[in-house]
Amino acid sequence: MSEMLLLSDPAREPLQASFSDEANPVGLDGIEFIEYLTAKPQALGHVLEMTGFRPVARHRSREVTLYRQGGLNVVVNAHPADAKGATLPETPQISAIALRVRDARAAYRQVLDRGAWEVPTHPEAMELNIPAIHGAGGSRIYFVDRWQEFSIYDVDFVPIPSVERHPPATAGIHFFGIVQYIGLGRTYDWVEFYTELFGMTLIADEERFGIMPLGKLLRAPALHAGNRFMIQLIEPEPDAAENDDREHLQRIGLGVPDVLAAVQALRSLGLEFVESGAAHSGQRGAISKTYLGGVLFELVHSDTTPGVAP
Amino acid sequence: MIRDPRSLRRTIAAIGMDTITLAGPLEAKLEAMAQAGFSQVMLKANDLVGHPQGWEAAVAALKASGLRGTGFQVLRDFEGLSGHLHQYKVDIAKTMLEMCAALGCKVLLVCSSTSVHASGDVDHLARDLRKLAMLALPLGIRIAYEGLSWGRHINEFTTAWDVVARADCPNLGVGLDSFHILAAKTPLSALDDLDPGKIFLVQLSDFMWQETRTFEERMATARTYRVFPGEGVHTAEVAEMVLKLDALGYQGDYSFEVFNDDYVQMPLPMVCERARSSALWLAEDVMLRGAPLPGQMRLHRAGNAKITFESHH
Repeated sequence: MSEMLLLSDPAREPLQASFSDEANPVGLDGIEFIEYLTAKPQALGHVLEMTGFRPVARHRSREVTLYRQGGLNVVVNAHPADAKGATLPETPQISAIALRVRDARAAYRQVLDRGAWEVPTHPEAMELNIPAIHGAGGSRIYFVDRWQEFSIYDVDFVPIPSVERHPPATAGIHFFGIVQYIGLGRTYDWVEFYTELFGMTLIADEERFGIMPLGKLLRAPALHAGNRFMIQLIEPEPDAAENDDREHLQRIGLGVPDVLAAVQALRSLGLEFVESGAAHSGQRGAISKTYLGGVLFELVHSDTTPGVAP
Repeated sequence: MIRDPRSLRRTIAAIGMDTITLAGPLEAKLEAMAQAGFSQVMLKANDLVGHPQGWEAAVAALKASGLRGTGFQVLRDFEGLSGHLHQYKVDIAKTMLEMCAALGCKVLLVCSSTSVHASGDVDHLARDLRKLAMLALPLGIRIAYEGLSWGRHINEFTTAWDVVARADCPNLGVGLDSFHILAAKTPLSALDDLDPGKIFLVQLSDFMWQETRTFEERMATARTYRVFPGEGVHTAEVAEMVLKLDALGYQGDYSFEVFNDDYVQMPLPMVCERARSSALWLAEDVMLRGAPLPGQMRLHRAGNAKITFESHH
């Protein structure tokens, strides 16, 4: 096969060559959705509802439900075939992050060229084929570009009758970041991964948000400043047991303009917060109890304008 | 001379054998190594794909043996290619990485290219190795790039280090092999220029000839006539190399990369016994020499009782 066959027509004018801003190499613009994989979709749905999310749509061909509040989408996947040969996990796991990018195909090609792993996806007829790569601990990173003109959910999902399709955010909740647990000595590996593939930048150790300051923080660039988000990398304690070395996406961080008001609002929905000497709700942030063996949410004080609603 | 047993045990735990040295099924090799007191093993792709019960059985055998995988070898002729050749090698590399991950090995050994199709442009080589390191990264695997002494463009650890430094990726480092260093007669003083934290693997062997001038001679010797450290004519240089690495602060693993046509037709316990003697020589007479430990003098006077691996289990 000649290399020439793989190349598309060169553009006649150098106007719309692939997006190549060095500070934002794949044209990142925030998070489109977060996906959980679980054998207990209803139990997880209950926790999500206590966190202000509402179920709004169901997938056409799989046991998958879309939860939403404001600009945040959370996909709960209980489709057995998506467990990759294993059984669905009893403890819900964050199994994918979908990134909004300017051009999904171009972004996908670019990251593959830099050493990302492509993940085969298996859409059914008339469903979207969303390109994906391997992320931390077997999770996936999807690339989505069709979020401004129409919603990807209009294609693959059927709205749940008689529910508000765009429920407002509780207490101004917006996406703040993802916390990733990593193996011992792996911080700079993962920093390299996110900077090389996505143009994320390490922020100073003095700059911390919320009440859980461990590890390193990376900031993702965005076409619209309000869509920037954080990735926090946390290694185990050096003397931790070997099985604590597992790498995974551990929790979602939610930004709120007024943490104590948000704590109060979510408490009234049934969500409980950790109140101990080591961690307790304050104006900087709060952390929920851990549900179902591994699901928790962190609140972080953030005035950032919530992302554009889909 | 008797050393602090804890220190001796630690030193010996840092040394492993390679499956390439032994004949027979994987299970028999692992058992013989464990019997001889080793706690780690350098595996090769054929241990998986050549296993009669399939690669899952090979993974299970390693687990059952209790041995730790030092690393996995070897990806060849990866860097410097273009177009469809590059894409082909990326696919090969991904499969090697998956096998390496299945075995729980944290290091993939990559030998510098011998391909006539490979570019010698350092930026190109660095770009390809960086991409390989990115592929290895989510799997928690580190890439050890080794300058093969008959590599087309990169044939010494000094130039391999240049490429690694240019690529600048945290999970990309160098692998050192005493054979290639001695065969190419690279001055050991150049080891001082390496960052010990970027040496991901050290392979040790000795050989019987003083000189290997041509690439052909090096290849033939490397593939048929290596012996364990201390068994050949380069004992002093191997010892000097290990001492230099120790002084530099290298804290990683050593593996015995011994290709030898005779050893693959000898009973496994006999070959492993030779490996064990070599490991004891390194641990007792070489590596601890530079680091006298508390209580050493008292132990020294205690006599010359032979220290064996078993006595410290």
